[in-house]
Amino acid sequence: MSVPSHTTSRPAFNLEALSNYAVLAAFLAIIAFFAIFADGFLSLDNLVSIILNKVVILAIVALGMTLVIASGGIDLSVGVSIDLSSMVFVMLIAAGYGGFVGAVGGLAAALCVGLANAALINKLKINPFLATLGILFIGETVQRVATGGGNPIYLTRGQYAGTFDVIARTEFLGVPTPIILMALCIVAVYLALHRSVFGRFVTVLGDAPDVARYSGVRVGFHTSIVFVACALLSGLAGILLSSTVRSYVPLSGDAFLLDAIGATFIGTAINSERRPSVVGTLLGVLLLAVMRNGLLLIGWNFFWQQVGIGVLVFLVLGISFGLRGRSE
Amino acid sequence: MSEPAIEMRNVRKTFGPVIALEKADLVVHPGTIHGLVGANGAGKSTIIKILAGIYRKTAGTIRIFGETIEDVTPVAIERRGVHFIHQDRLLVPTATVAESIFLRNEPRFGPFLNHRHMRRRSKELLHRYFDLELSPDTLISELSTAQQKIVQITRALAQDARVLVLDEPTAALIDKEVKSLFKVLRRLRDDGLAIVFISHYMSEITEICDTVTVLRNGVDVGVVDPREVGIPRIVEMMTARNTSEMYPRRAVALGAPVLSVRDLTCEPYFRNVSFDLHAGEILGLTGLLGSGDKEVLKALFGQLRTDSGEIHLNGERVEFRSPVAAVSSGVAKIPEDRRAHGVAAGLSVRENVSLASLSDVSSRGFVNRSREVEVVSGLIDDLNIKTPGPDQLVKNLSGGNQQKVVVAKWLNCNSQVYLMDEPTVAVDVGAKIEIFELMNRLAEEGKALIFLSSDLEEIVEMCDRTLVIYRGEMIADYARGDIDADRLLAAASGAPAERGTPAPVRRSA
Repeated sequence: MSVPSHTTSRPAFNLEALSNYAVLAAFLAIIAFFAIFADGFLSLDNLVSIILNKVVILAIVALGMTLVIASGGIDLSVGVSIDLSSMVFVMLIAAGYGGFVGAVGGLAAALCVGLANAALINKLKINPFLATLGILFIGETVQRVATGGGNPIYLTRGQYAGTFDVIARTEFLGVPTPIILMALCIVAVYLALHRSVFGRFVTVLGDAPDVARYSGVRVGFHTSIVFVACALLSGLAGILLSSTVRSYVPLSGDAFLLDAIGATFIGTAINSERRPSVVGTLLGVLLLAVMRNGLLLIGWNFFWQQVGIGVLVFLVLGISFGLRGRSE
Repeated sequence: MSEPAIEMRNVRKTFGPVIALEKADLVVHPGTIHGLVGANGAGKSTIIKILAGIYRKTAGTIRIFGETIEDVTPVAIERRGVHFIHQDRLLVPTATVAESIFLRNEPRFGPFLNHRHMRRRSKELLHRYFDLELSPDTLISELSTAQQKIVQITRALAQDARVLVLDEPTAALIDKEVKSLFKVLRRLRDDGLAIVFISHYMSEITEICDTVTVLRNGVDVGVVDPREVGIPRIVEMMTARNTSEMYPRRAVALGAPVLSVRDLTCEPYFRNVSFDLHAGEILGLTGLLGSGDKEVLKALFGQLRTDSGEIHLNGERVEFRSPVAAVSSGVAKIPEDRRAHGVAAGLSVRENVSLASLSDVSSRGFVNRSREVEVVSGLIDDLNIKTPGPDQLVKNLSGGNQQKVVVAKWLNCNSQVYLMDEPTVAVDVGAKIEIFELMNRLAEEGKALIFLSSDLEEIVEMCDRTLVIYRGEMIADYARGDIDADRLLAAASGAPAERGTPAPVRRSA
């Protein structure tokens, strides 16, 4: 193949460039749609509630998933990290240790999940799908055993004595604390994945692991960090989840697994390399959250919401990948 | 002349900003064998894929037996009697010969397959065209590559092919099989078929083709009679340069030994390999397939654990347990399998080129994007990498330019030893020369290079010294000027005359 020597600028308008905006266009179209057809959709209360109830936790988990998928892996055990963190957090508070010790304990539990994944993948060379699937099974059993077969742990107001509310229901400079935590995570993962040497190595690892290895990248180290980071982010999400619902409900973390994977892959449609990115993932998370909220407001029940979201995913990805295919 | 079987005019194909085929004609008449030649990246496979309906043309016209076809699809093209014998797309290994010949064209008996007819017809066709007595019930997996090729051609004939397109049909065949394939092709031509013959082997082109279309940089630079103009002229048309400019080796004065290897053994691949590699030296390494030459490079790069022996780098003993350790000690490798090990094809030129020297363009763990772009753009200009910009994805570049990306990656880091495993394989002639120039430049900068190639002429022309590995033994060590390609091949094949004669293996400089 040859290239003319002076082709430095691309044509301003081509299908491929356009295809990158399919997700954004779909997002804006959906907001416009619900603004017209769903009463109260655009009210400040509703928007804040979308962010607090539908976005924050999913976004934090999806950030971790973005790192893992960018490195060429997948983490099916994010639900276990969420749940075990949440379980240890709530149990420690119930035992009277207070919120700080509880949170550290919860994150420690998640860290164990991340280290287990890293060991299985790097030491035993099990592929990430199966390694994390195994952890998913084991994690579920651990929860059932620890809770006498899966009984939720509810705390009395006296027991939690404000610890939950400090995390979930306070504000800092007028911004709810969970949103601040999410913002910190976004900035941290953005810098790590898109601006740092570490992130560059992770990206190369995701595209061509052998190239990374032959270029002197410590593959095992980077994979481990990625899985540990994903588990810790999920652990943080678990603490937020428990604080919001003021309890621990076993096996509630798995609900975030597919949404986190989905948001990450929807997000790959926004750049021409079709690779995971923080901005893309956030757009994916917002898209899912807005759809759920909007469909609820116009009166669709839960089952039909899922159908709506499924169709949306086909539309968005079909448009962006389809347009791209056409332009070749 | 008769109406052309294939008439492609002004065909153009672009992939985004990359032009794969600028403007090319391909006209093939019935009753001829028409060659299609060009360096890698000239657009050979692109024009064939357009004809096959795999790529959609950007511009141009395609006529098959006078009929203009706007929307070329694989089905539409096959319906008009144009059949493709692809190089890699083989047959279903678990199917029988008869099933393969009638694949997608099965004779029926009501709703059922007519096996009896299939078997009889297969036998008939194989006998008529190839004088081949092959049971129609033989499994494809039991056939030789040549026989499989014959089954593919028979399948086309069973569907009344009027045009056959053969992409590198002789690549996996031995001499005798090539001869019998050519006999068949001539017979088919005399029956009035139009045959397009694509091959890298110039001698085959002159032997079998009546006319040849030469492509260069996506343009057809001429249609010639190969027997009339001869091989050198065709190569000149392909490369636009004289064959004498092919190997621009400039020897430099050798410096101190950088890498010393003593009695390195790695069973079962190689034993007792010893040599010294000096600054400024290009050391050739060659052997037949499976001789262990590649494994020597692997061991030097930490990909293989050695059993015994020592490696000294700058006088210090080293033991690489992984490529990571080798890289951090200043050893770089240009791997043979570019797609799997050399470039991350889905990432940009920038990300690939800066990969091995990222610490130079970053501070406190964060990449300084503008420094990175500056350094990478400099290397792109310097190495003449043909890309619209640093952010183009590597998979959109041609093979030669991808290889330059691999080399560029290692230019800016502090490597002292470069292990190059077939750096010129699947690279067009122009890029090959540029890679040789790069090797010169590295040598002039005092780097030490080991150049492994199975193209013996390259080795002879480019290397200061050459080691030959035969069945894991280092059997010869030639100085530059002592050796030509024929003797090298004889040594690599283990010819007794070559085993002892040259200076015994040099233990130290």
